[in-house]
Amino acid sequence: MKPYPIRLGRLIAKAVLALAGFLAVFPLVWTALNALKNNVDIITRVPKVIFTPTLANISYILGRDSVLTGLYNSVVACGSAVLIGIALGLPAAYAVARYPNRFAGDIQFFVLSLRFLPPVAVAIPLMVIWLQVGLYDTLPALIVTYSLLTISVIMWLAIPAFQGVPKEIEEAAFVDGYGAYSVFWRIALPVAARSLIGAIAFSFVLVWNEFLIALMLSSSNAKTLPIVASELSQQGMNVPWGILNASVVLLSLPPLLFLGVLSGFLNSVFRQKKN
Amino acid sequence: MRRRSSLPVTFLVPTLAILLVLSMVPTLYAIVIALQNRELSTTGYSWVWFSNFADLFTDRRFLNAVWVSVKWEIVTVVATMVVAIGLGVLMFEAAGPRMRNFYCLLFIIPVLLPRVSAAFVWKFAYHPLYGIATYPYRLVTGGLIFDPLSKPATALFAVATVDVWQWGLFFAVIVLKLLETLPPQPIEAARLDHARRWQIHAYVTLPMLKAPLVSLMFVKMIESLRSFDLIYVMTRGGPGVATETLDMYAFSQGFIESGKVSYASAMAVLMMIATVITFTMLWKRVQA
Repeated sequence: MKPYPIRLGRLIAKAVLALAGFLAVFPLVWTALNALKNNVDIITRVPKVIFTPTLANISYILGRDSVLTGLYNSVVACGSAVLIGIALGLPAAYAVARYPNRFAGDIQFFVLSLRFLPPVAVAIPLMVIWLQVGLYDTLPALIVTYSLLTISVIMWLAIPAFQGVPKEIEEAAFVDGYGAYSVFWRIALPVAARSLIGAIAFSFVLVWNEFLIALMLSSSNAKTLPIVASELSQQGMNVPWGILNASVVLLSLPPLLFLGVLSGFLNSVFRQKKN
Repeated sequence: MRRRSSLPVTFLVPTLAILLVLSMVPTLYAIVIALQNRELSTTGYSWVWFSNFADLFTDRRFLNAVWVSVKWEIVTVVATMVVAIGLGVLMFEAAGPRMRNFYCLLFIIPVLLPRVSAAFVWKFAYHPLYGIATYPYRLVTGGLIFDPLSKPATALFAVATVDVWQWGLFFAVIVLKLLETLPPQPIEAARLDHARRWQIHAYVTLPMLKAPLVSLMFVKMIESLRSFDLIYVMTRGGPGVATETLDMYAFSQGFIESGKVSYASAMAVLMMIATVITFTMLWKRVQA
């Protein structure tokens, strides 16, 4: 009836969306560009878009022992915690999803409530405990602490994933003489695999990005990459900005590698809801 | 056959036992420490019972931190939901399937970043002389200096912007997916009744999505409590105490300034009690 205002409204809507899309990625793109700049090209009053790129910042970052140690610690701590989360979280989630008992609701609430705990409230006593048993500032201490996060998150996300496996397939396997454990191994796990990988990727991103607990539980040996990166900036703005930007890029790359997996996971969650 | 299997016991008991130990030991120990007077510099300690808690309520910096935390919670949760619903509806109305997928991918990127990275990205962008975010201001005013992170009035909002950049855009994707799960009939019925587009969303679609939107807000409220990394990197609680939230103050009492671990733990225990009570009540209401 009123074609004109509607078309104008659509145009404005599209412009707002385009602006939001630009704002979503531009700060990150700019950081990546700055990582390729010499310091003189960064410290300019008018932002420079055209410059001679340099790999000096990136090679400096990758050549520093503290960064490499942080990278190693992050990979080992997060990788181990995720593996423990898989080993303990997936079976427990399957049991909750497929063998309902009267505690199922309480178990789910308990697992979720672990997310309510303020990280400081966990980190302060753990620091004292690890100091007392002599494990403060070691990777095992960090791995055990992170396992609390990964187990609970993987379990929470895997319960609906296992519930999404058609019951008929499992029933058919029982009829074929499979035992309860082989139904889990051979049927439920492979069928739910896609959603489960999403849940596992999410738990990895969560612990990779974790900062407060790592900061409180490490002083020199067990520092993870986020801590090392934040320390680079504590030396004031004297540190060449290009180097800082390069460290931000290095820190951000692993979670971004999971972009495809996680957005697929999101889609599958909502497709399930629709059906 | 299924009923008599040992699987639920062998699969559940070890995991739950480990989760219980890993969560209860630090929680109970936090309470124990809060009732003592431990400091990082000394090894001895004695029981002081509730004097740490009594001290807290006369500590003006603590009361300021409570207020900053409440402000932070309100600003980030409200702004995130407004951005999410606004952009979600816009995508639903004005973007085709292909563009929707494209925007969804873009909008997920910020939330995947480590908060330390996000904080750095924006700390550079906010730099008064060389930052990209302050450049438009310099351009318009002919080189005047605007330093959002060093002004008490703007610092909290400048940091909150980063939080909303991460979560608001991400939640916009979820709002879009929720809108897509709705049946088309009520929307078409409203269209036939000559409802305008915004009316359709205000009176039909968003009320239909009330329950998931409330859950979403609940998730954001929990997530907003974890503001420490952003604030630590961007302002360290400053300027003054303008952005000093509870976890930031607990950290600086326990580690940076005085090493009063027990005092910091008392704060953490109060936070824990407040959040567990609030969220247990909210969760039961959401579930009901």
